[in-house]
Amino acid sequence: MAKGNEKKHRKSVSYAKWAYIFITPFFITYILFTLIPQFLTVYNSFFENYRNGLEQVGPNFVGLRNYIQLLTPDKNGTIDFLRYLGNSLAMWIAGAVPQFLIALLLAVLFTSSRLNLKGQGLAKTIIYMPNLIMASAFSMLVFSLFSNVGPVNKFLIDAGILKEYYNFFATKISVRTIIACMNFIMWFGNTTIVLMAGIMGIDQSLFESANLDGADSVHVFFDITLPLLLPILSYALITSMIGGIQMFDVPQVISNGKGTPNMTSTTVIMMLNNYLGISKNYGMSGALSVLLFIITGILGMFVYRSLAKQYKD
Amino acid sequence: MSDVKLINIKKVYPFTESRKDQKEAKKTNLQITKEGVVAVQEFNLDIKDKEFIVLVGPSGCGKSTTLRMVAGLEEITSGELLIDGEYMNDVAPKDRDIAMVFQSYALYPHMTVYDNMAYSLKIKHTPKDEIDRKVKEAAEILDITQYLKRKPTALSGGQRQRVAIGRAIVREPKVLLMDEPLSNLDAKLRNQMRAEIIKLRQRINTTFIYVTHDQTEAMTLGDRIVVMKDGFIQQIGTPQEVYDHPRNLFVSGFIGTPQMNYFDAKLIKENGKYAVVSDGYKVVLADDKQERLAAKNVEEQDIILGVRPDHIVLGDKGIKGKVDVSELMGPSCHLHMTVGDKDVIAIVPTEGKAVDYMGKEVTLSFNGSVCHVFSKENEMNLEF
Amino acid sequence: MNNTNKKARISLIISRILAYGFVIFLCFMCLFCFLLLILMASKSNSQMQGAFNFRWGGHFMENLHNAWNDFSINIPVGMVNSFIVAMTSAILTTYFSALTAYGVHVYNFKLKNFIFTFIMAIMMIPSQVSAVGFIQLAYKFGLTNKLWLLIIPSIAAPVVFFYMKQYLESVLPLEMVEAARIDGSNEFRIFNEIVLPIMKPAVAVQMIFSFVSSWNNFFMPALLLTKEKYKTVPIMIANLRSADYSKFDQGKVFMFILLAILPVMIVYTVLSKSIIKGVTSGSVKG
Repeated sequence: MAKGNEKKHRKSVSYAKWAYIFITPFFITYILFTLIPQFLTVYNSFFENYRNGLEQVGPNFVGLRNYIQLLTPDKNGTIDFLRYLGNSLAMWIAGAVPQFLIALLLAVLFTSSRLNLKGQGLAKTIIYMPNLIMASAFSMLVFSLFSNVGPVNKFLIDAGILKEYYNFFATKISVRTIIACMNFIMWFGNTTIVLMAGIMGIDQSLFESANLDGADSVHVFFDITLPLLLPILSYALITSMIGGIQMFDVPQVISNGKGTPNMTSTTVIMMLNNYLGISKNYGMSGALSVLLFIITGILGMFVYRSLAKQYKD
Repeated sequence: MSDVKLINIKKVYPFTESRKDQKEAKKTNLQITKEGVVAVQEFNLDIKDKEFIVLVGPSGCGKSTTLRMVAGLEEITSGELLIDGEYMNDVAPKDRDIAMVFQSYALYPHMTVYDNMAYSLKIKHTPKDEIDRKVKEAAEILDITQYLKRKPTALSGGQRQRVAIGRAIVREPKVLLMDEPLSNLDAKLRNQMRAEIIKLRQRINTTFIYVTHDQTEAMTLGDRIVVMKDGFIQQIGTPQEVYDHPRNLFVSGFIGTPQMNYFDAKLIKENGKYAVVSDGYKVVLADDKQERLAAKNVEEQDIILGVRPDHIVLGDKGIKGKVDVSELMGPSCHLHMTVGDKDVIAIVPTEGKAVDYMGKEVTLSFNGSVCHVFSKENEMNLEF
Repeated sequence: MNNTNKKARISLIISRILAYGFVIFLCFMCLFCFLLLILMASKSNSQMQGAFNFRWGGHFMENLHNAWNDFSINIPVGMVNSFIVAMTSAILTTYFSALTAYGVHVYNFKLKNFIFTFIMAIMMIPSQVSAVGFIQLAYKFGLTNKLWLLIIPSIAAPVVFFYMKQYLESVLPLEMVEAARIDGSNEFRIFNEIVLPIMKPAVAVQMIFSFVSSWNNFFMPALLLTKEKYKTVPIMIANLRSADYSKFDQGKVFMFILLAILPVMIVYTVLSKSIIKGVTSGSVKG
């Protein structure tokens, strides 16, 4: 009798199989819709494969030619990939500098027990809001406001500051400024909240003992808050940078996908988008993606490390 | 109506992350083999129907692991588990007809007390009115009827504990398992709940297996107690047996509070009678001890002599000691002394007189029926 | 009164005033764009041709009517498409991420550590890397203009997994799962009836985030959805820009933008508290 039961109930006390059952949907989906496409992307990068009008070229194996083409200067002596990467980074930096400075200041103000600011909940709600607005809609809004016939131009002419309308989208500096400002508005609230959580995670007694030791708020900030906040700050900074490299929606809509003026607002992802558009240039877009993967991968390693460290503690 | 049989049960936790686990394991005294850490081994126990068994021991002794194997929450590495004669090793917990009360209560926070208690019955598709009757009955027994509509977060620790017990008894399980159910409560509530469990036991007919690290709980609750250490059973017996005849040094020290006192002594044989000599003080052992020692033909040797604090009396002849601290406990007085290089505690009745023992030299004596003789070599009680 | 104390008080008051001023300025900046949008959406095209002012235009309902019934940009269809994609993605993402996190958290199995490390690692891979292969496959198998193709991939969301895993670690004692097992529940039921309700706060937060990011998603849908009747809102908004912009009724343009962001704004005003909590706990170990 005992033997029969043994067979019937074999291993039902072991639960490991349930783990596999529960994680299976996730992994099947991941393999089908992410992993296989990722391999295909890498695979494509070694092929010539695009459409020229109605004519399909390739796929022909070309080795590293796509990469070489991406990284060799064209007849004007510029490397488009690096140029667009530079565009992305320039616009990211212009937005990220005020974003992080103001977020840091706000986080310190909000967490200061001496100031004890009221209405923080409401303030946080408001400054986080732009982060949730559809980037393409926000871009369209800004474009409409600053367009030649838009209210900003009208207002400036009425006020006598401008004689005739100013085309904000025709000069490099104004387009980049507008995009950087939008990035700033969209992200400083998020950064504030992340940094606040970081500050509040610091043992409060450290601040108290520093105060009793006679440190003023400037010293407390530089000697205690900043060093202890560094892991989270660097985490936020690197994720923000990865986001900056992946910038797409805002410049795409603002410049109508053209990177006007003169490709100075074209980002790497816009370049990818152009390859994937009508020409369906899987070869070049594959190579571009791989380069992008390598760059973000290196940055991601830093994030992963700080995250893993946090996780282990 | 069920007996539980554990035959040569063994549990090995295999190493998962080789190095880290091994390091952790080395900190304990558990045996480590190639397969992993041996948490429990050579566990043999026959639990009779409706018996109240207490597994007791210090943390890491394998008592909870054993309980969890009975519950089906841990796989049994080898050995056999029989409930009512049926082989249960690989049966899922839900099919074992057992219930369990957890240390952290493990109440479902999103359900009301009623739903918490009704959950297992609902899963078994018990008719609604029967669920209702059973839940209310259990609530009545545990005096939690007025909390049935509350969520666990709105209850105090003691009330949560009652709900956890209630959840276990509504099912009328064959075996009720309790894993340190009282250790999250404060001292006062713990005493109260202990009494409740004794009462509960009289009202419901089921087999209990109770795990605790607290020897007081073990002594007061158990029909039999199983003392464990480092994965091995040290002794099985009624509380009285374990208290009076501890099998080895560990059991003698673990059961009983304050702890048993130990003296370096010699076992000698004079005129065919066994006696112990310590510090020149000779005590002839009682007749029952004589018989057992003689039956085993124990030879003269150096021994560890154990005497419980309450068996020590102050007299004229005996072992000399100096009182370091004297604690007045009301009816009695605890004297902390140093004898040789050992700490010794004696409990002496005050009998209404206030005697200041602090700093005094005293003489400790005891009779031959309260002496426990342990081998110096293997720390076993020589009587066994 | 004590002089040092007085000085300290005054400096505190001044720094408070400065701090409040700074915070209020930033809040105003964030609200200003939004308020300006509502204002502009109330003006008729001809009002906008004239001088700019901050007066309410009074053509709000008219613009709404025109935008809603526009024949070239079918915003109601776009909103329905967006809603279907965002809602189902949100449900699938949270359910399966929670399920996966539960599987990794509760059970001991051989690949446990490997799987956790693996998911942590793939979390960092930008989504664009798979885009090329994804688009190629979609075109090859004729799966363009299929909304489900945007929905199903959301089952595997490493970031949400990570959040759920952290949450489980903080709220779910293993004893609870064991209690349910002994109560007779099977593993699926334990997850659905015991664990999921306990995870409600985390599920709510992730559903909102997932809904919002899906609602706002532009890159992939723009490459996959080419037919008008399948387009989602962000594509339609971007189309406004590509169309001959200056010929467009400006009131209608602002109304389109307002409609595009309104659902998220409504969700946000109702649930802002838990959203902010979610940002906080998602960023650092809670």
